[in-house]
Amino acid sequence: MGVNRQSATPALGQGGNGVRAEAKRKKQSDRLFRYATLMPAVIALVIFTVYPMLNLLQMSVSTITFAHGGAVWQFTPLANLAKLRDDSVFLATLRNTLVFVVVSVAIEMTLGFALAVAVSALGRFKGLIRSVMILPILVPPVAIGSMWKLMYNYNFGIFNQMLAWFGLGPVGWLSDPNLALVSVIIVDIWHWTPFVFLILFAGVEGLPREVIEAARVDGANNWQIVRKIILPLMGPAIAVAFIFRSILAFKVFDQIFLLTSGGPGTATEVVSLLLYRVFFAQNDMGYGALLSLVVIAMIVAFLLGARRMVAGRA
Amino acid sequence: MKIWTSVHHAVTALVLTVGLMAPALAADSVTNVGKQVPINILINASPWYGGFEKVTELYQKQTGNKVSLDVTPYNGMLEKARNAVRGDKSPYDILNIDTAWTIEFYKGGFLKPLTQIQPGYAMPKQVFTCGGSYYWNAQKQWRTPVGGELMAVPPNCNTQVLVYRKDLFKAAKLAPPKTFDEVLDDCKKLQKPGLYGYVTRGERGNGIWYDFLPFLYAYGGSEVADPENGDFTSTLNSPKALAALDKFIEIEKTCAPANRGAIGQADVIQLMATGNVAMAQVVIAAWPYFENPTKSVVVGKIAAVENPSVAGGKPGVPMGNWHFAVPKNIPEANQKAALAFMKWFLTKDAQMAYAKAGGIPVRSDVMAELSKEPKYAWMAAYKQSLEDAVQPIGYAEGAAVEDVMGLRLNQALIGQKSPAAALNTAAAEIEAIFKKNGRKTGHLPPLPQ
Repeated sequence: MGVNRQSATPALGQGGNGVRAEAKRKKQSDRLFRYATLMPAVIALVIFTVYPMLNLLQMSVSTITFAHGGAVWQFTPLANLAKLRDDSVFLATLRNTLVFVVVSVAIEMTLGFALAVAVSALGRFKGLIRSVMILPILVPPVAIGSMWKLMYNYNFGIFNQMLAWFGLGPVGWLSDPNLALVSVIIVDIWHWTPFVFLILFAGVEGLPREVIEAARVDGANNWQIVRKIILPLMGPAIAVAFIFRSILAFKVFDQIFLLTSGGPGTATEVVSLLLYRVFFAQNDMGYGALLSLVVIAMIVAFLLGARRMVAGRA
Repeated sequence: MKIWTSVHHAVTALVLTVGLMAPALAADSVTNVGKQVPINILINASPWYGGFEKVTELYQKQTGNKVSLDVTPYNGMLEKARNAVRGDKSPYDILNIDTAWTIEFYKGGFLKPLTQIQPGYAMPKQVFTCGGSYYWNAQKQWRTPVGGELMAVPPNCNTQVLVYRKDLFKAAKLAPPKTFDEVLDDCKKLQKPGLYGYVTRGERGNGIWYDFLPFLYAYGGSEVADPENGDFTSTLNSPKALAALDKFIEIEKTCAPANRGAIGQADVIQLMATGNVAMAQVVIAAWPYFENPTKSVVVGKIAAVENPSVAGGKPGVPMGNWHFAVPKNIPEANQKAALAFMKWFLTKDAQMAYAKAGGIPVRSDVMAELSKEPKYAWMAAYKQSLEDAVQPIGYAEGAAVEDVMGLRLNQALIGQKSPAAALNTAAAEIEAIFKKNGRKTGHLPPLPQ
């Protein structure tokens, strides 16, 4: 062994510089190749992501009007900020958005997880039940809005008809300012719980069965298995479902627009609806752009917070 | 043989005579639009759409010219129209624009004045000018026939009327109400379980804004001081406006369904058509629904009168008319084809067909003729309303002001704000909108809250 090492060393010593130089050249060549192949994607990213963001930034410090058949831009950096400061509707929409995100996502995650575990434990009809359960995701939002609006109808809706069977008076599901947001959240839960279920069901199905069986042999009950084994192992799947649902909940628009248009008053007005009003009803592009940046900042802050939370637990 | 030759000559002479007379007979009719390129119309899915669809079919049949329709819900109309005129080439040859949005398009220079498509063109004198909103005086920045260019023509001059159940009023020995106090008294007397006394739109946005205006105008209030002459002082928080809002809320809380803050146009029509309400303040365009036996249980049981007033005052009637306009960014041939359709649409024959198919005609001679028939008795109330109607918003900030009023009035109706607080807030926000655009503006002292 020693001879071999001695005989090998001079050989390396002689050719070492050459090999190192060759490796360095190859490394540089690889790096160049990587840059060259990445460049189209980077250019596309700049054109389709960075440029629109810069444009949004420019809009947010401008007042844009339409005259003489075209758009007229004026640089007014403080005007939109002042409007944001004085906008009482924005504060209401912020509160509604946070309530909507926290309540709907929390319930959807809990229900989705419970359903995933329950369906996974079934011996037969698992595929059929899974298929039936994901149907709400497939329904177009316009159909969801129309369907639930009809069910919530004060005079002709099925919920109030059912209440009448029990001798109870009608409820203003979408017209009572104290109830409207709850009604909208119920629709969101109905619509999106299957999405959470689908992700978590795939996670549960992929868990190592032998670990669960071993725990059961060791005397663990169902609750202990869920809490001590399934939940920790499902961490990544739960995180994915949570982040996806939270981002979508922050940006909710269609179902609220169709059910209440943000009313009554500001009871169900979320940030996306305010954005729509500012951009499209008030035609205020500059302020709308500033609000868009605020929404983006909110989502980024939320994601960073969630990441830190997950990292802290890990 | 000789006899047959004579008959042949006579028939030929008759055909020639009729043929030569035809242009004269059809001077106000359909045959003189010529061959035109196909056009595309942006049209709203409003209650009068059925009548319009039928009349476009008639146009195609009579002229051989092709028309396609992009039928769009109200909420999507403004944005589609904006996108059309702001692009290189509009996908639409005729845009239908609501009255509150017109200034943005007139002032922005996005439309082709109709007299530039056909020099000297003027609407027939029998056509209503609906408060003059079809003309734009660029120098004065105001919609008026005085010194204004013709920018559009009316597909309807929508106004509100008070629709009531004549059978219920007759049974209760009541006369149709003329004042808001009478509306309140009558609705209290008529309502019972299963029957609301009164309904109008209370939902946030255009609904409550437009349906509150009859109260505001009848009480002598306004949202802006004198915009025609450049005074954009915000006046929505005047004592008169507060009295109007108090009365509006009182009637709504006493007689309308408990979900009043979320009631939209479809709900108002549905409640009336299903026989669940005694009175409804509604646009005249909804009338065809009530008289359609497949959709309504109150066919033949309803009548219409002009909007109520305050005792001794004039009724408050806001115009809610639409505007057929031609975008600037389409080829000349399309502009000509668009105007040809509009000219045809305003003829007496076309308007007659439009009315009979459920449309709301815009010609006085058609209304005078049809209103003699019991089926069209509502036209008398409509005609009277048109005489008293005023244009609600005549400035470029119209859509933004409407949005502010739509929210704050709704908050007052559902109790999120007191009426005085809602009006003070709205007035301050309206002032800010005008200030931002460099208007001469100001405000009234706040109402005590």
